[in-house]
Amino acid sequence: MKAVKCKAFFRGVHPHDMKYLSNKCETEVMPAPKVVAISCSQSLGKPAVPVVEIGQDVSIGEVIARQDGAISSDVFASVCGKVTDIKDLVGASGATEKFIFIENDGRDDKKYFEPMKDEDLTPQAIKQRIRDCGIVGLGGAGFPVAIKISPKSPVDTLIVNGAECEPYLTCDHRLMLEHTDEIVRGARYIARSLDVTNIIIGIEANKPDAIAAFEPYEDIQPVILKKRYPMGGEKQLIYVCTGRKVGLGKLPADSGVVVQNVATCFASCEAIEQGKPHVERIVTVTGKAVMQPKNLWVRIGTSIKEIVDYCGGEKVKPLKVVQGGPMTGIALSTYDVYTHKTTSGILLMSPEEAKRDDPTPCLNCGKCAEVCPMHLLPMNTAFYATAGDYEAAAKYGNTLSCIECGACDYICPARRPLIQSIRATKAAMRGKKK
Amino acid sequence: MDNTVIISTPPHVKSRRTTKMIMLDVIIALLPCTVMGIVYYRLDAFITIITSVLAAVICEFIYYFIAKGGFARKCKDAKQVCKDFLHQFDFTSIVTGLILALIVPSSVHFYEVLLGSAFSIIIVKMLFGGTGKNLVNPAATGRVFMLLCFSATMGGIVTNAVGAVVDNGVINTSATVLTDLIGDAGTTNASFLDIFLGTGITGSIGETCKLAIIVGGVYLIIRKVIKWWQPVLYIGVTFVITWMLYGFNGLTALDITFSGGLFFGAVFMATDYVTSPKSRMGQIIYYIILGVLTSLLRYFTHVEVVSFVIMICNIITHLLDRYCIPHPFGYVKEKKVKAPKAEKAAAKDAGTKEATK
Repeated sequence: MKAVKCKAFFRGVHPHDMKYLSNKCETEVMPAPKVVAISCSQSLGKPAVPVVEIGQDVSIGEVIARQDGAISSDVFASVCGKVTDIKDLVGASGATEKFIFIENDGRDDKKYFEPMKDEDLTPQAIKQRIRDCGIVGLGGAGFPVAIKISPKSPVDTLIVNGAECEPYLTCDHRLMLEHTDEIVRGARYIARSLDVTNIIIGIEANKPDAIAAFEPYEDIQPVILKKRYPMGGEKQLIYVCTGRKVGLGKLPADSGVVVQNVATCFASCEAIEQGKPHVERIVTVTGKAVMQPKNLWVRIGTSIKEIVDYCGGEKVKPLKVVQGGPMTGIALSTYDVYTHKTTSGILLMSPEEAKRDDPTPCLNCGKCAEVCPMHLLPMNTAFYATAGDYEAAAKYGNTLSCIECGACDYICPARRPLIQSIRATKAAMRGKKK
Repeated sequence: MDNTVIISTPPHVKSRRTTKMIMLDVIIALLPCTVMGIVYYRLDAFITIITSVLAAVICEFIYYFIAKGGFARKCKDAKQVCKDFLHQFDFTSIVTGLILALIVPSSVHFYEVLLGSAFSIIIVKMLFGGTGKNLVNPAATGRVFMLLCFSATMGGIVTNAVGAVVDNGVINTSATVLTDLIGDAGTTNASFLDIFLGTGITGSIGETCKLAIIVGGVYLIIRKVIKWWQPVLYIGVTFVITWMLYGFNGLTALDITFSGGLFFGAVFMATDYVTSPKSRMGQIIYYIILGVLTSLLRYFTHVEVVSFVIMICNIITHLLDRYCIPHPFGYVKEKKVKAPKAEKAAAKDAGTKEATK
């Protein structure tokens, strides 16, 4: 269908997108590493429970950890070989996670599910397959998709999120160009499981080639989004695509919408057509400190050191290494971190990119409130949180509605660490509720 | 990783704009007024402006030297202290000093400006914690301080040299156009163009040329330092209420609105970040109160009140901040329950059910 321009999204910021570093790089398949370390906490919710023992042989696609409870997802072996160790390590986020180490024997035996035939594709079967294959939302949060597509309220629209508003990242962009058809088929399967016919794909205006790629499909409506951060935020995307507002503390399904990332659609398509569980994903390796920026197909559990080495190593000594995008990613202290299902990028920032000025006193300029996509007052949160009064911080800043997009922190002319205050407030309030 | 890396909360990229750049923008926006002030009032204006700005910066330095950390240690390590001072210096005291010089008449003596500037910086700004912590606008308060202490020179307003006849350097002192208009005379000899350009009329150094103020204001709006509706709302409300007070006489109201310190105050002083409300709703209320108070007090007291009104509203700001908190995106207004009894009963039922569970 012909692409339509959307209404403006009236807040947000315009960071330099820096996508030119890697958006022309075609995806490459990175050779499977010698050893992978797969975390059991791959999704939101409870970590999975290991079901393999040390010394056991596993093949690609075999379940190595079972989901524990409803909001959790299965974890699969991403290489074929022997389980060498199961131990607790500090993950990228700083929390201790259980890791399963598998040594690759190079045989690449696969143990996938049966491909599904067209007549089997009932909504129930699709949901079951997506759950079996451990598909999680690949936009960043890692919410299990099987739960997302079993909403309690009636849904009439499926929005495919191809905004990729984070600067630097290009993995979704490359995926949309190279696997357009799979994304469309995956979106159709998800739509069938939800029993909706209205499929919208939202793509930011800085990816005209991706928008053009989706125009030939009759049942998909591409929407050109203004280039602005955080356009890909779930609530913001729903608002610009459909004009509906998601209430506070409500789910998108309560407004009749389900949002899925393009990478999620692609993974669902592979799960249904090939029976392939979630064992690899595209990771963008970029930044001015890396020798060759690349978009790589990487097995889950590959160490970041190997990925960086595969891209030619460091060009200059990075001042900051980030897992994920620059606006919401996690700064790493070591390369000994392993990729997750949700790792969308690895960013090696050169000293000039990562330079950070010292915070100066708040001027009360109101820029943070001006750009906040949730219409909050981050300066109030920072003011009260710095003084230690978290209750007042939550009250006067409406902090608990914050989506932590980082727009306020980005724009702050006084360089105040607003997100830090917001996270401290949220943690303190969560502690109080309990 | 063998080298040092930074660990911090996201975002890992930052916009280029800093506090220093915003303050520099304000200084640039003040330049047209400064230039016109010097053109109109010559050497007097120049001396006033230089004194005020230098006094402001030196006062901040002295305060920094004495108040922050041990005095004895700093005496030993004076070079380092100077470096630290320059590192944290964010041009705010230059802005304060410049604004203060522009809102006083050129007839003031240089030591009066010096005292006013020192008062603005030390008492109003630094004692409350420096940049971003002051309760009221330092420049406006400095002017009020000077008005109360040195009313003789502050009142004796000088006619500027352009367009007016200055005989052998004899300074003409007379009432301002505004005092003519809102005072007993109720009329003025100056044409509207004179008021707009500030030629041949009396007033403070930077306030007479409205064109220069508008140019500076447009620059600030383009650079997104202030929003266009902020000065427009303030001036607009003042105009409308003045118009009603003067029996719907449009021309008089226009003259009154365009004379005095209203434009300068609306563009450069009321929009001061530190002392204006945070939320949009709060800001709208703030500018409306400013406009109402300005026009009413001008009508009833027959004196120029813009600095006073800005001071008063600066104090209201903190009240507005407490009560004007915007609803988050997606907030749904709770509907008034039509049948509270049924609802209550249902709630009770649910409560007892939970209890029995």
